[in-house]
This record gives sequence, C-alpha cells and structure tokens, in this order.
Amino acid sequence: MAKKNNMVIAEKGVVEQILKISDDIWDMTIYAPRIAELCRAGQFVHVRVNDSFAPFLRRPLSIGPTWGEYFRLIFLVKGTGTKILAQKETGNEIDLIGPLGKPFQLPEPDQSPILVAGGIGAVPLLLLDDQIPSQQNRDFLLGIRSEKNITVDEIEMERRGITVSSDDGSIGFHGTVVELLEKRLEEKGEKNQVVYGCGPGPMLQALKNLCLAKSVPAFISLEVPMGCGIGACQSCAVPKADGSGYYLVCQDGPVFESTVVDLNPESLP
Amino acid sequence: MSVGTKVSIKNLVLRTPLLTGSGTFGYGDEFADIVDYDKLGGIITKSISLEPRSGNPPPRICETEIGGLINSIGLANVGVDDFLKDKSSLLPLHKTEVFVSVVGDCVEDYVGVISKLQVIKDIAGYELNISCPNVLKGGLSLGGDKEAVAAITREVRAITKRIISVKLTPHYSLIEPVAEAAVNSGADALTLTNTLMGMMIDAEKRKPLLGNITGGYSGPPLKPVALAKVYRAAQAVDVPIWASGGIVSGIDCIEFMLAGACGLQLGSVLFADPFAPNRIMSEMEEYCERHGVEKMADLIGALEV
Repeated sequence: MAKKNNMVIAEKGVVEQILKISDDIWDMTIYAPRIAELCRAGQFVHVRVNDSFAPFLRRPLSIGPTWGEYFRLIFLVKGTGTKILAQKETGNEIDLIGPLGKPFQLPEPDQSPILVAGGIGAVPLLLLDDQIPSQQNRDFLLGIRSEKNITVDEIEMERRGITVSSDDGSIGFHGTVVELLEKRLEEKGEKNQVVYGCGPGPMLQALKNLCLAKSVPAFISLEVPMGCGIGACQSCAVPKADGSGYYLVCQDGPVFESTVVDLNPESLP
Repeated sequence: MSVGTKVSIKNLVLRTPLLTGSGTFGYGDEFADIVDYDKLGGIITKSISLEPRSGNPPPRICETEIGGLINSIGLANVGVDDFLKDKSSLLPLHKTEVFVSVVGDCVEDYVGVISKLQVIKDIAGYELNISCPNVLKGGLSLGGDKEAVAAITREVRAITKRIISVKLTPHYSLIEPVAEAAVNSGADALTLTNTLMGMMIDAEKRKPLLGNITGGYSGPPLKPVALAKVYRAAQAVDVPIWASGGIVSGIDCIEFMLAGACGLQLGSVLFADPFAPNRIMSEMEEYCERHGVEKMADLIGALEV
C-alpha cells in the first residue's frame, strides 16, 4: 500500500494581502498557521475558490514562501477558478486542504543546487530557495516569455540573486531558461550539481533531456488537472517512463526524479 | 426534536442514508484525516477487478462550463488480490459499513472477484458496476444488455448472501425493464445511476480535453436525469434504491428520497467539499425539523403527485 505522506489538514485561511505582480500574475499572502507550519517546498494546497459548485473542482496551487503563520500563493489567472481567486480581498476566508504531495528532497551538503523555473513554476522553488541552508551556494534561474509576464517582483529577484531569461530578449538572457541552464552547467562543470525544475511540460522535457545528457540529477515538479488531491480519484495520472502504468501526481508527486516520468507531449496531460 | 436518520436495507441498518459513490472515495482510507465517517451510513469502494488495471491515458478529468465534470479514469485499481492483501485489513477501521464495488468484462470476472472477497468478514455487501462508460469491454456494453444484467446478478446471487446492489447506467430510455431484470435475478438494491457518457473539446487546439476522448459526466447537471431514473425505477420495483447523480446539498438528498431513494451516494461533491457528509446531514435534519418529519425514512417515496 502506498504510504500516506503526512497528515492532511483542512484549514480556513484568511487573505492577509493580495498584489498584482504583472499581467495575469497575482501574489496572495494567506494566514493559515497549521499549513504554514507543516509545509515543505514542493507541496501544494488544494484551494476551493468559492462556496458554489461552479467551478466544480478545487485548484491545486504550489505553496510559495512561508514565514511564521503565513504563506504566499503566487498564481496565474488562467480560467474561472483563478479569476475568482484574484478577486479576493484582505480578510476574506479561503478554504484550504494541505499540505499535499511529496516535497523536494533538499540537496546534500556537498551538492550545488540549480533552481530552474519556467514562468509561474517559480513558486515552489522560492520556498525551496528558503529551505536550502543559507551557507550553501545555489543558482536560481527564471525563464519568462517577456518582461511583462514576470512572476517574481524585482526586489525579490534582486534579494535572491535570480538570473532571468526571456524568450523575446526583453529582459535578461535572450533565450529559454534551459539554454541558460546549459550555459551555466558549462561554466560551472557538472560535478556535484543537482537541478530542481518547475514549469511548463515542454520546458521540463528539455530540462530532463539536458540533465540526462550531462548526467546531472534533476527533480521536477509537475502540474496536471486534478480531482480530489489526496489519491482517491486517480485523475492526476502521469505515465511512468518505463511504460508500466501511471503515477498519481497528487500522491506520488508532484515532485519526481525526472527520469521516472514520461514527459512526451503526447503522454502528458 | 432529534430526527431519526437510520435507514435499512435487507437485514442491515445504516446509521444514516449517506454513502460514498464508487470511484470518488478510493479504497476508503484516503479521506480519513478530513471526512467525518460518523455521518456516513456506509462507504462504497473503488471498483475492484480480477486483475489490476492501470487506467486510461491522461488527462483523466475536466470541468464543464456549467458546474459539472467529466472523468475517464478507466477503472484504475489494484486488482482483487492486492485489495485483499493491502486494503482489506483497513476496512474495520472505518467504523461504518463497507460495500465493495466490483467490475468485470464478463460474468466470470464478477463471480471470480466476489468469491475471493467472500472470505473478508468486514464487507457488508457488493455493488455491481455494470455501467461504467470508460471501458471498451464490459462496463456500459454489459450494462446495456438486460440479459447480461440478469445473468451477472443471478450468478453473483448464487455465491453470496451479502447485500447486492446493481449499479445501472442512465442511458436507458426506459429504466423499468432492466431494473426488474436485476431485481428478479436477486438484486437487493439498485444504484441509480452511473455517469452519462460525455466529452469536452478544446476548439482552439482542436483536441478533446480527455485522453480517452469520451468520459463519464457527473456533478449537479446530472441530478434531473438521476431523479427521473430513481422515480421511475421506484414505481417499478420494490427494493431499496441508492441514488447517485449530482448530489451536493441536503435538499438534493431530500428530493431523491421523495422520488423513492433510500440511500444517497455522495460522489464528485467530495472532491470540492470533503466536509459534505457533515454539512448535508445538518441540511437534511434542518429540513426534517422544518417539516415535522420524525424519521428521514418517512420521506422515501413521499412525493405528492
């Protein structure tokens, strides 16, 4: 039997602050002491955006940076659910289940981690950045389409030493974040590196291929359509790389060692 | 006033009419941290097959614009042998009645699974899933055939004295003949209904939203369809009916009881609101108090027409 990861908590959070970072990207700080205390980088909360049943399902959202009894959700307004979420105001209650899923495994002390984010995929990596011991060197790369789609504000990028790439060259390195990663690996050598990635499917596939070619271990966090979020409904399947069936993203992931999952566009949700 | 919540089925008394719909509550243990099992008269497991099934290609779930959802899980399950080995010892921990949903491609599959499950003493009964729209063989194709429904029910009846509920598809234009066939072959109850076959398309990408292209449509939009099946079947047969189809509130449950249901299965609602059993029981009790109903069972079939 698959072992349950952790205690699952149902908590009514309270919106402390909500800010618009850029086109379609919102940064919400939530007071939810029990989840904030227990969560680890890579885990998610399953958010019910309102009391009606339209939209019907909860939204699985990666947990961003935490401090004390608070955590941040940074999200892209993509459809009905996230649109409703973006309209929340300070003081509004928010129905949460979490922390769910398996977290990132922190790097070994002799490893040099490289965090590679694609767009909104930065969120769990911001928390990971905080959870990696401060004396340990790390690189944090963020790829976005264009300056106007920035997912982390400038002050935070500066503070964390994030290197940016953009598809259109409007900010930072002109190219994809995986091209930036390749450059970085060439500069630093591949020894003792470990890569942590989160972002869109094609980016993760490119990241997986690069890390395979360079023999660098990589952990990736996946996002797929999800039902219950706790392993009961089996909606969030992702194919195993060896073709022997499926993993459940909510329970076996969302973090996977990159070689165990099949990321081909034809296989991925 | 304290409202009586018990309902009975055959020789078994359930402490409330609420049950969990197969496929939405896993093997019964996944929700243990957050769902109040005290409010559940029973749980119905994921459908168990003779061999393990890995399920359909993703994506397996999508929402519809009007508050429903479509799934095509493909009956992914560990198979009866692993269920016996890994899951069956957990059943008594749930402290509620456990009904195991069973699926197969042919009569022999159903008999095979149930003969293995008979050794576990903590199972109150079986729900025969002969109506899933997501599998190529069996499932809906078996359920669509009245003779197959009768044959599966008869053969299973021959090997167990436990409660058997037969879960039927909503696709019949007339539910009565197949309901009668199941009951005449030994069904103790009927579950009405399974999901409706549906699909969603992403016009921009010219692609279906589900890996299996079509799936099973559930959620609130299904309620009127299920209500009609429950009502029509309740007129035709004299066994308890478990309603399943779009229940999200206590009033939905009351409507199904008035139409003739004795049990109420909470399905997709549990994904959005795992606390639904508590909320729904309070809403039902509130209705009963407001209408001077002493026992919920008095509402069964009490529709005034």
